[in-house]
Amino acid sequence: MLHSLVKWLARASAVIGGLVLLILIVLTTLSIIGREMSKAGHAMEGWLGQMILSLGVDEIRGTYELTEAGVAFAIFAFFPVCQFYGQHATVDVFTGGLRPRALAWLRAFWEVVLTLVIVFIALRLYEGMQRYLGNGETTLFLQFPVWWAYAVSVGAACVASLTAIYCAYARVAEAVTGRMILPEV
Amino acid sequence: MDLLREFIQWLGLTRLELGFWSFPILLGLIFLRAPIGLAMFLMGLLGWIFAMNGNPTPILAKLKSETYTTFSNYSLTIIPMFLLMGQFATLSGMSSALFKAAEGFLGHRRGGVAMASVGACAGFGAICGSSLATAATMGRTALPELRRYGYSGGFSTATLAAGGTLGILIPPSVILVIYAIITEQNIAKLFLAAFIPGILAAIGYVITISIYVRLYPDAAGTRPAVPWPERWRALAETWPVLAIFALVVGGIYAGWFTPTEGAAIGAAGTGLVALVGGNLTWRVLLEALIGTAKTTAMIFFIVLGASLYNNFLALSGAPQWLADYVLGQGFAPLLVLSVILVFYLIFGCVMDSLSMILLTVPIFFPVISGLEFGLTPEQVAIWFGILVLIVVEVGLITPPVGMNLFIINAMDRETPMTETYKAVLFFVGSDIVRVILLVAFPAITLFLLPV
Repeated sequence: MLHSLVKWLARASAVIGGLVLLILIVLTTLSIIGREMSKAGHAMEGWLGQMILSLGVDEIRGTYELTEAGVAFAIFAFFPVCQFYGQHATVDVFTGGLRPRALAWLRAFWEVVLTLVIVFIALRLYEGMQRYLGNGETTLFLQFPVWWAYAVSVGAACVASLTAIYCAYARVAEAVTGRMILPEV
Repeated sequence: MDLLREFIQWLGLTRLELGFWSFPILLGLIFLRAPIGLAMFLMGLLGWIFAMNGNPTPILAKLKSETYTTFSNYSLTIIPMFLLMGQFATLSGMSSALFKAAEGFLGHRRGGVAMASVGACAGFGAICGSSLATAATMGRTALPELRRYGYSGGFSTATLAAGGTLGILIPPSVILVIYAIITEQNIAKLFLAAFIPGILAAIGYVITISIYVRLYPDAAGTRPAVPWPERWRALAETWPVLAIFALVVGGIYAGWFTPTEGAAIGAAGTGLVALVGGNLTWRVLLEALIGTAKTTAMIFFIVLGASLYNNFLALSGAPQWLADYVLGQGFAPLLVLSVILVFYLIFGCVMDSLSMILLTVPIFFPVISGLEFGLTPEQVAIWFGILVLIVVEVGLITPPVGMNLFIINAMDRETPMTETYKAVLFFVGSDIVRVILLVAFPAITLFLLPV
């Protein structure tokens, strides 16, 4: 029950981050098409150039800062699924000879440490957001408060922390019971 | 905290010594199966605290913004975009179009279907910046064909595992993006420089195949030639690959757009091809997004850990000290370079390429840039980047932990791993010959670049 809930949460979080990434990709592409058309319109003499310019196409201002904020959010949102499916890069050769039970305890140990670090990162990020709360600092073009960008990332980092706590619990349970709980791949 | 401070005082290490001690400890943690990003993060954190005599305040303050600024770094946003592009490329149906075209031209030769697999991998590498994705996708397409025409198990799997490395050798390439950012080089120039060595890799593999089938004539079957009109038709089907590659790499190079914008266009273009081909249903899109998410998070956790650790290393002054030391000894530059490349070859057997680059380039790069190769600093940086890219990729096809070998071998249950190992050594040999060539003649890598 808890397992499927966390699995759903991790996957949903990854999909939302992925959709944000997808939107940024489309936005960037449209912005470049607009920019190139506007350049071409300026370069062209006569009615064709006039027509392009009269369409009012141009680059989408603020794409740059939306990309930065959006990708940061997406990456935080990608963490849960990475941890849930055990995708963090490790070097396995030197511990390959361990008995399964010993290996399970080793994995559980690192999973607990990893969880502590992820929660720590989330808390630091929250502190970082506090700095921008109410200081009126905004981004250059779109003029949205910088703390908004931090806030969405904090939201995603919270989901990452919750998943991490569950994964740590699951790995310890795996070591205690000798049964696999978390999926591989 | 007081206890920690006393402990640090009792140790009495200078910052430089801390820097040097941190590296073997870090390796120890990694070999004890700590997630690599986690190990680097921990060592960076502890290193900072130790270097500040037990005062955690500076690093705690730094960490308030460190994660956000790393994850929102505009140059790094190119990575998730290229990864999603790779996912779309897998779904685009281009792998079978490329294979069909390559098979049309090469298939009837001795070992021709294997050569065609390599050719198709090279084409796929032009729209996919990841070796694992290239190996997996081309494996699904080409492995059944190879087996159908009577190619032996180990030879087939080894060919595809080696071909998969073309995914990253031929631009766009995620590893080159990371290298460019660490060493502050121009991504477009690195992509351009990677092009000829990438083509050379494909040619080297084709030569390897033709040698292999002469040594082991039983390893390959034959198939009839395809009529010419059909060959041209199959080739024409691959036009989206050429168009996307030219637009992305050409556009970045021509300065029409930034590398990130180029990656966005590439992802949009490949996504469009997948959509038009009817392969991109909502369900499949969700899986593609989740696949992108797993790899992106894995990479960025390592990037974050590496950034913190390298920050500490820079604070300790160890990389600069090492560079000064090596330069002071007056070793021959080529000797130093060779030692570093051999180090990568050995290390690549146990560690993944990205972690290795993030871990070691900040240490080796100052050494290399201080040496005199008769090239400009930028040329040295680009040349070294391409060499490192190749040697770390060899790790993907060397036992015991060559990821490409595992991916392909898992697709072919009849072939034991040892068969794959035996055959893949020929391709490793071809890689090593290529590295020697590129070391001996830097011009091969550099001549496409404008002076």
